[in-house]
Amino acid sequence: MRLLPRSLSGRLLATAAVTILIALALAAAAIGHVLERFVMSGLDDRLDAQIAIVARAVGPDGTLDGAKAVDLPPFDQAGSGWAWEVIGPTATLRSASLRGADLPLPRDDAPPRPRERVRERPHPLEGTDASGRRIHYRIMRLPTLRGDALVLAAGPRAIVDRPIRAAMLPLLLSVLLLGGFLAVALVVQLRIGLRPLAKLSDRVAEVRAGHVRHITVEEPTELLPLVAELNALIDANEAAVARARGHVANLAHGLKTPLATLKLDLAEGDSRLREQIERMERQIRHHLGRARAAEPGGVVTRVALAPHLNDLIAAMARIHADRDIASSVNLMPLVQVHCDPQDLDEMLGNLLDNAWRHARAQVGVTARVVERMVRIEIADDGPGMTPAQIAEITRGHRLDERGEGHGFGLAISRELAELHGGTL
Amino acid sequence: MRVLLVEDDAALAESIARALRAESFAVDVADNGEDGGHLGSTEAYDVAVLDLGLPRRDGLSVLAEWRAGGRTLPVLILTARDAWSDKVLGFKAGADDYLVKPFRVEELVMRLRALVRRAAGHAASVIQCGPLSFEAQTGVFQLDGMPLKLTAFEWRVLSCLMLRKEAVVERLDLLERVYEGDADVDSNSLEVIIGRLRRKIGASLIETVRGLGYRLTAGPA
Repeated sequence: MRLLPRSLSGRLLATAAVTILIALALAAAAIGHVLERFVMSGLDDRLDAQIAIVARAVGPDGTLDGAKAVDLPPFDQAGSGWAWEVIGPTATLRSASLRGADLPLPRDDAPPRPRERVRERPHPLEGTDASGRRIHYRIMRLPTLRGDALVLAAGPRAIVDRPIRAAMLPLLLSVLLLGGFLAVALVVQLRIGLRPLAKLSDRVAEVRAGHVRHITVEEPTELLPLVAELNALIDANEAAVARARGHVANLAHGLKTPLATLKLDLAEGDSRLREQIERMERQIRHHLGRARAAEPGGVVTRVALAPHLNDLIAAMARIHADRDIASSVNLMPLVQVHCDPQDLDEMLGNLLDNAWRHARAQVGVTARVVERMVRIEIADDGPGMTPAQIAEITRGHRLDERGEGHGFGLAISRELAELHGGTL
Repeated sequence: MRVLLVEDDAALAESIARALRAESFAVDVADNGEDGGHLGSTEAYDVAVLDLGLPRRDGLSVLAEWRAGGRTLPVLILTARDAWSDKVLGFKAGADDYLVKPFRVEELVMRLRALVRRAAGHAASVIQCGPLSFEAQTGVFQLDGMPLKLTAFEWRVLSCLMLRKEAVVERLDLLERVYEGDADVDSNSLEVIIGRLRRKIGASLIETVRGLGYRLTAGPA
C-alpha cells in the first residue's frame, strides 16, 4: 500500500498534517495532565490539613482523644463524600459524615494492606465508596507505643474531575483553533514554496516551444543544480541533433560526388541506368531536405527577412544571369520571422528559383504582416499552372523534365513552411 | 578557353576534364585547395570550376582570397552542398555561378561558356564579326551561315580572339589560354594555328599586330 501521495504538495501536506495532529494531541494531553495535577494538589492540601488536625487526637501511648479531632465542614456532612477516620491500636475515631460506618478503604486494598507498608507521611490512594462514587484518599501511619495508628482522609474525586471537565472544552477549542491556523499556514507555505516548480515547468515549455534557448532561473537556490542539469541536457540534445544532421548531410554529400561521376561517365550511355541514377539523386535530395527540416523541438530564432531575401535575389540574378529578369521587392523593413535561417533560405530559395525559371521578364516579391503571420508573395509573369498541376507539383511530382531543378522544391518548401507553423 | 578545375575527387575530376576537353576547353586540374588557389592567383584562366569541400583549404576561402587579390575571373562553384544558405554564402564570397552535384555535363559546359562570354562583356549569346559568327552557348562557329569545323587548338584561339574582337590580344595571353599548364609549348605552334585559321576563315579577318599580338577584325580599322 502506498503511504505517501504521488504529488509533492500531497506529500508535504500529509506529513505536515500528521505531525501537526500528533503535536496538538500531545500538547492537549500535557496541558490536561498539568491541570489535573494542579487541581489534585489543591485537594491533597485540603485532605492533608484535615489529617494534620485529626492526627492530634492520637496520643503517644496509642490512646485516641475524640475531643481533639475537630470535625470541620464539609467533613461533618453525611453523604458529602468527605470523611476521615483514625484507626488506633485500640479504638477508632470517625468523621460525623460517616455516621459510625467504616470508611470504605480502596477495594484493591481490602483486606486492609499491612500497616508496615503505609508510610509515615500522607500519600494518595484511589477507591470507590459504597455508592460507587470515586473517592480520593490520603493515608498516613502514626507510630505509637502500643502500635501504629492509621489516619485517613477522603474526598470525592468529582472535586478534581469537575474543573478539569470544565477546562477541557476551551482547551480543545483553542487547540482546534491552533490547528486551523497551522493548516492555513501550511497551505500558504505550499503555495509559495512550490511556485518555483510551476515557474520552472513554464520555462521548460518555453524552451520546447523554441522561444528561448536556455532556462534562466535565479532562485530558489535548491533548483539551480536542476536548472544547470537541464541546460546541459538541452545543449547535449542540440549537439546530438546537429551531429545527426551533419551525418546525414555528410552521407548525402559523400554520395553525390560518385553519383556525379557515374552520371558523367554515363552521359552517352544507357538511358535506363541514367534514370536509376536520377532516381537515387532525387531520393538523396529529398531525404537530405527532410533531415534538414526535421528538427523536433529545435530552437527557432527570429530572423530579419530582408537580408535573406536580398541575398537570395542576388543569388538568383547570378544563377539565371542569362535570363534578363527584373525583380521588384516590396517589403516592410525590419520584418522578422520565427524560423530557422537555413530553412527560411531553403523555402524562399526554392520558390524564388521557380519564379526566376518560369518568369518572362518580371518577378515581384512582397511581404507584409497579416495577423501576426508574415505573408510572403512571390509572383512571376510566366505561364502559370492549372490547379491540377499545382496539386501534383506540391506533392513532389515533377512536371518539367528540363533538367534543371530536381522536382522537389515546392514539396520541400511546403514541408518546411508547415514545420514552422506556416502554410504554402 | 582555359579552365581551372579544382576538384578533389579524382574520378569526378577526370570525368569532368574529359568532358570539357571534348568540348575543346583547355583544362588544368588541381586536387586540393592550396594548389587550386595558387594556380588561380598566378595563371591566366577564362573560368574556374571550384569545389567547396577541398583538402588542405576550403573552396570558399580560396575564392575569397582570389577576390581580395583582385582576380576577376568568373568562378563556378561545383559542390554537393545544395542548400540555398550554402549558395548564398558562395555568391557572397564572390562566385558567379553555382552548380550542384550531381549535374549534367551539358549544363556545366553551357554555364561555363555563358560565364566566359559575360565576363568578356557580351550580353547576347551570338557574337558576330564580319562573315564569322560565334554561338557562345553551343560553341559553334559559322562562316557565312555554314558551320566551321575546327580542331580544339583552333577553336581555343579563335574563340579567344572572337570574345575580344576588334581588340589586340597579346601573343603571350593567347598562348596561356590555349595550352594546358603542363603542356610543352612550342612558341612557333601558335603561328601554325593562326596560319591554319587564316586558311579556313580568310586571311583578312585575323590581323597580326607586330610586336604585340593578333586582332580579329571585320574590316580595316
